[in-house]
Amino acid sequence: MDAVLTHRSFPRAILHIDADAFFASCEQSRDPKLRGCPVITGSERGIVSSMSYEAKARGVTRAMRLSEVRKLCPDVVMLPSDYETYSILSKRFFAIVRRYTPDVEEYSIDECFADLTGLRRAFHMSYEGIAEKIKKELDTELGFTFSLGLAPTKVLAKIASKWNKPSGLTVIPGSKAHLFLAKMPTEKVWGIGPNTSAYLTKLGVHTALDFAVKSEEWVRAHMTKPHIEIWSELRGTQIYELTTEEKHTYASVQKTKTFTPASSDPKFVFAQLSKNIENACIKLRRHNLAATSAMFFLKTQEFSYKGWELSFSHPTAFPHEIVGAIEESFNEIFDSRKLYRATGVVMMKLVEDNVSQLDLFGERLRILDSKKLYAAVDAINEKFGKHKVYLGSSFAAHHTKQHGGPRGQTPTRRSTLFKGETGRKRIGLPMFMGDMS
Amino acid sequence: MEHERIIAKFYREHRRMPTYAEMMRLMKFKSKNSVFKLLKKLEAKGAVERDSRGFLIPKKLFGEVKVLGTVEAGFPSPAEEELVDTMTLDEWLITNKEATYMLKVKGDSMIDAGIMEGDMVLLDRSLTPKNGNIVVAEVDGAWTMKYLKKEGSKVALIPANKRYKPIVPKQELRIAAVVTAVIRKY
Repeated sequence: MDAVLTHRSFPRAILHIDADAFFASCEQSRDPKLRGCPVITGSERGIVSSMSYEAKARGVTRAMRLSEVRKLCPDVVMLPSDYETYSILSKRFFAIVRRYTPDVEEYSIDECFADLTGLRRAFHMSYEGIAEKIKKELDTELGFTFSLGLAPTKVLAKIASKWNKPSGLTVIPGSKAHLFLAKMPTEKVWGIGPNTSAYLTKLGVHTALDFAVKSEEWVRAHMTKPHIEIWSELRGTQIYELTTEEKHTYASVQKTKTFTPASSDPKFVFAQLSKNIENACIKLRRHNLAATSAMFFLKTQEFSYKGWELSFSHPTAFPHEIVGAIEESFNEIFDSRKLYRATGVVMMKLVEDNVSQLDLFGERLRILDSKKLYAAVDAINEKFGKHKVYLGSSFAAHHTKQHGGPRGQTPTRRSTLFKGETGRKRIGLPMFMGDMS
Repeated sequence: MEHERIIAKFYREHRRMPTYAEMMRLMKFKSKNSVFKLLKKLEAKGAVERDSRGFLIPKKLFGEVKVLGTVEAGFPSPAEEELVDTMTLDEWLITNKEATYMLKVKGDSMIDAGIMEGDMVLLDRSLTPKNGNIVVAEVDGAWTMKYLKKEGSKVALIPANKRYKPIVPKQELRIAAVVTAVIRKY
């Protein structure tokens, strides 16, 4: 029996685009020596952050430890992340999609949604034709492949882009949605987690189609709002609109540094964390931002993480305030019987730094004083080089080499410089890497 | 007003001011005294004036625009308008921003084309490689930059240095991008 969910094919035309193995693809597309090889990125973190399809085929998964990767795949190429290049290519990805429609939601660094509704006449093309053109431009101009899904809703478009990966273009018109959903377990649907899926199984709902054909009364009786919305989206009725503002500000600023050999000296580990905080603050100040909260973490030799979060009384980009505030919690968390190999900080809830809020206890004056202080610090470091002036709490980190042994932790782009480029500022064009003959 | 227009018309046609006699005729006055009186009025008004020798000079006979008070607008800065027609180095060098990459040159195989070791070349991945273009292609897991020579179905990569031999690919040639500029900073 055909359980057609809707007879309307494209009441809306939503395209979901997903870069295939994004970071690894960025690396492979700029160095021909990597083509066809198992490649992973994230070597500076000690775990896989992205793997090429060749590595995936060998069983490498995300967040796998490097030692494990080497066992599975001795010929693997491990590269440190080059976020600068990935970010430039991500921006280009969105810019190419925007050639066709302004309604683009930058969902993450390697994924976006685009609303093509009503564009058939403008381009003298079917929705599928437009999607094909976008794919062709992405593939040729970025040098690696993308997977696209075209459907009347975001939830269906996500299913479509995953349907045929890598380098697929799958079209799910509303009238054909049931054919795709029949083969799909509920937990594979975007927004349905393992708990909801288990609950649905208890109710006799196994596939996404089982769920989609349920009556509205049934869904309202058994599910809550988010899942009622997913139910509508699966039936081809759009609930989720696109969030189309271009992302201009950083959502967070993160600084992590691994050090070798691992250490159980609290002073040294704290100095490492302090240095990361200073570096994160330098970046915040450079972009005129301040953080409202931050997360700190310590990573042990066994790769277990201990983290804690802190909210600040006012947005700040001053390391001495933050370092002072975390000393106590650091001592609580630090276990001197363990060996630590990395520290990190993530500055979150960033706001424009314009000290506009007044408060009762003269905080504002203190902030203005700190502002003057750090303007001077930044000016000194600008003139005489990074880290000429730093907090005493970071001393131990500045006076030891970060790594006892050799380790390829900085991306090659950082050391392949043109005249006039510096380690801190480079031309914003992606660079072809690898050998030349 | 009528008299001023007549004088202005005469001035435009003859490139000089009329004499008293001519004005008498033009204005259909009966005496030169009438002309004298008229000129007194026009001088007082600022429409004409006299030079050091007493000859008449037109002053505000032309473009009689009523001034309704002055506005402090001034001329728009010519700089702003002129700058619209300039481009930045980026715009000059880069046609398709999303498809432009760079490469640091190694080796001297393109030296006769003026491309030296350490130079930056700009590449465009969106262009279709044509005969005679300098291209960047993949050969044995490395990049190579050469002239592209196409003859019918035959393709070869030609170096710009006699010490190197042309490359004739045995299999499909994978061209990654077309070179659009060479930049050298001293």
